[in-house]
Amino acid sequence: MDLSYFPTRHLVGVIGLLLLVPVKAFAGQETDELRQQLKEIRQQMQKLQQNYEKQISTLEQRLNGLESQPVRQAALPAVTTTTVTRNDFKIGLTGLFSAGGSSVDNDALGGLQAGAHDPNQNGFTVQNVELSIGGTVGPYFDAQANIIFQIDSEGETVLELEEAFFTTRSLPWGLQIKGGQFYTEFGRHNKQHPHAWGFVDQPVVLSRFFGGDGLRSQGARVSWLAPTDWYSEVYFGIQNPKGETVTSFLNAPDEEIAGFTLIDRDARDTSDLLYSARWLNGFDLSDTLSMNVGLSGLWGPNASGVTTDTTIYGADLYLKWQPIYSQRGFPFVSWHTEALHRRYEAGDRGNPNRTLLKDWGVFTQALWGFKPGWIAGLRAEYANANGDNGSDVLRDNRKRLSPNLTWQFSEYSKLRLQYNRDWAEHLPEETANSLFLQFEFNLGSHAAHQF
Amino acid sequence: MKKLVPMIVFGTMLFGISLSSQAALKIVATTQDLAAIAKEVGGEHVQVQSLTSGTRDPHFAAAKPSMIRKVFRADLLLLIGADMEIGWLPPLLQSARNVKVLPGNNGHLDVSTGIPLLGKLNVPVSRSMGDVHANGNPHYWLDPRNGVRIAQVIVNRLIMIDPDNKVDYQQQLNDFKTRLEARRAVWQSELRWLKDKPVIAYHRSFIYLANAFGFKIVGEVEPKPGISPSVASLTRLIEQINNNAIELLIIEPFYERRSASYLNEKTGIKVAVLPQSVGAQDDIKTYFDLFDSIVMALNQFKDK
Repeated sequence: MDLSYFPTRHLVGVIGLLLLVPVKAFAGQETDELRQQLKEIRQQMQKLQQNYEKQISTLEQRLNGLESQPVRQAALPAVTTTTVTRNDFKIGLTGLFSAGGSSVDNDALGGLQAGAHDPNQNGFTVQNVELSIGGTVGPYFDAQANIIFQIDSEGETVLELEEAFFTTRSLPWGLQIKGGQFYTEFGRHNKQHPHAWGFVDQPVVLSRFFGGDGLRSQGARVSWLAPTDWYSEVYFGIQNPKGETVTSFLNAPDEEIAGFTLIDRDARDTSDLLYSARWLNGFDLSDTLSMNVGLSGLWGPNASGVTTDTTIYGADLYLKWQPIYSQRGFPFVSWHTEALHRRYEAGDRGNPNRTLLKDWGVFTQALWGFKPGWIAGLRAEYANANGDNGSDVLRDNRKRLSPNLTWQFSEYSKLRLQYNRDWAEHLPEETANSLFLQFEFNLGSHAAHQF
Repeated sequence: MKKLVPMIVFGTMLFGISLSSQAALKIVATTQDLAAIAKEVGGEHVQVQSLTSGTRDPHFAAAKPSMIRKVFRADLLLLIGADMEIGWLPPLLQSARNVKVLPGNNGHLDVSTGIPLLGKLNVPVSRSMGDVHANGNPHYWLDPRNGVRIAQVIVNRLIMIDPDNKVDYQQQLNDFKTRLEARRAVWQSELRWLKDKPVIAYHRSFIYLANAFGFKIVGEVEPKPGISPSVASLTRLIEQINNNAIELLIIEPFYERRSASYLNEKTGIKVAVLPQSVGAQDDIKTYFDLFDSIVMALNQFKDK
């Protein structure tokens, strides 16, 4: 920055001070002539000061103009016909509603549809109304918040801060840090919001391991985009292990798992936090076929004892095919599979009832966008666990098959019909049949297309 | 010994980064059209990749992992703008964590800022109007006069990022302009028969082409942009085609042909499949090839 105008400014200051000296002081001793001269001098000085101030303010204006103007604009041709409105602040509201009926009553249906955003009662369900706000904070950060409004089965309105986090924009070496309250990087499905799901409900195994709301908590994660020839990204996260959205870890005191009453346990040191790692790889197998392969792990304390731990591993595979010619993103075929395994230490060492709970589950789902706006889907799921689990809603032998059909009216709304065939050991009738009709709308900013 | 491994890894990374900074300027374009023009004016000083293929509708792309890699390594990102990439570029930029190509920096070039866009709306825009782009129609590369503007905008930015090669860029720009103007005269004369003819388009994507060659798009197969035709909307269109003796329907290769075939069956309207982008057909490799192919496709329907 050019500071050459500063001496001028000092000069003006001195002149200004001089002007403050009262002329009256001289008046008594000096003649009228002298007074006249002084008056003239004062007037001249005032003129001089005004001139200087004028010049300085013009200079300052020009300088400010130069600073605020992006340099690149100077070289661009002046295209006065274009008005570009740049506003990266985004706000959107998504509403997800469903109507459904099942061969089983509401209590049993609630057990089968354990996701908090699943349609879980005979009749109407407000699955998820989500307000999403996000944008760029400055040169260094982006931020986003997702706030959920829900009406539970008692008719009460629930307000929930689902996510609120910042992400860095300009770290070197392919690094990025995210901090706040956010979904843990584990597999492909856990991070997806209900309006991005291919089905009306979340997979059984995810409800079992991560609870109704998905695995999310407060903390930070760092990710690194590796300098490989294919897409390869590694995530490490540290989050609080406690709360109702950290199922399998320090959640829900007084609830039971396999006969153990969960205690109110706090994280005492850094080894008691929830650690997550994920390695995600992406390949273009051909012009029409892309693939994502990921491995994830979670390590943290659980509330069945004071020293007990939980470990969860998962593998995920996603394939998407789209022909060379496609209209509005159609046709396409996508195939998404995840397998998860949980090792849950139940009871402290020395506890005679101590046992090792092993749970596992897999879901595989295919979507076929057969013509613009129309998608047919099929999902198959299996979940099971070791030990005496036949009557445990969240650990019994469970299978589910779900065909569905989705019609997207436009980019901002859709209608979905889904049938669920359930086989569950804990049900007296062993099977259940359910049918759901789901409607979704999106208001506000254009939502991101999903790969 | 324990420190050796991380040091080797770190050193390799540094080496890799220093290598990549010395290579040609890496340009990533969202479409093959922008990529083709960038190649023309960048010459040997640039290395150009396109994120989407000309066979697909660039509005409906999704942020694939392979795109993240490309944007991560780019020195300059060229985008169509005018909301064309709104569904996938923002999340892609967030994942790619390359500060150079973020909006506001020299490596981010929204080419639409240098183009007089058509179809701007001065009325309040509602989504009930379909996929309307309030900032203007983004298919501007389909006017060869805009090809010159695109090249100019790109060269201005190249000179800013890479001033050492200013002379080359300017020379390549002038060369491109000269060749394009010469070809444009040929295309103009070849398509003179089309002047002032009424034409039906499938989507609102050919208004620049119509503007360049003087034909008139009087209707669209889509009742509203992005909304699929219905029996009722097609019936209305048949009436319009018959009443006004419209002879030609133009459609991109990636759109469904059933509606067009149906209209052809009912009214005898001829259906011209026009490649809308570089890469839309295997033989369209340059911006010149694109208009050669369009002219050829249209000339099949010239009255003998």
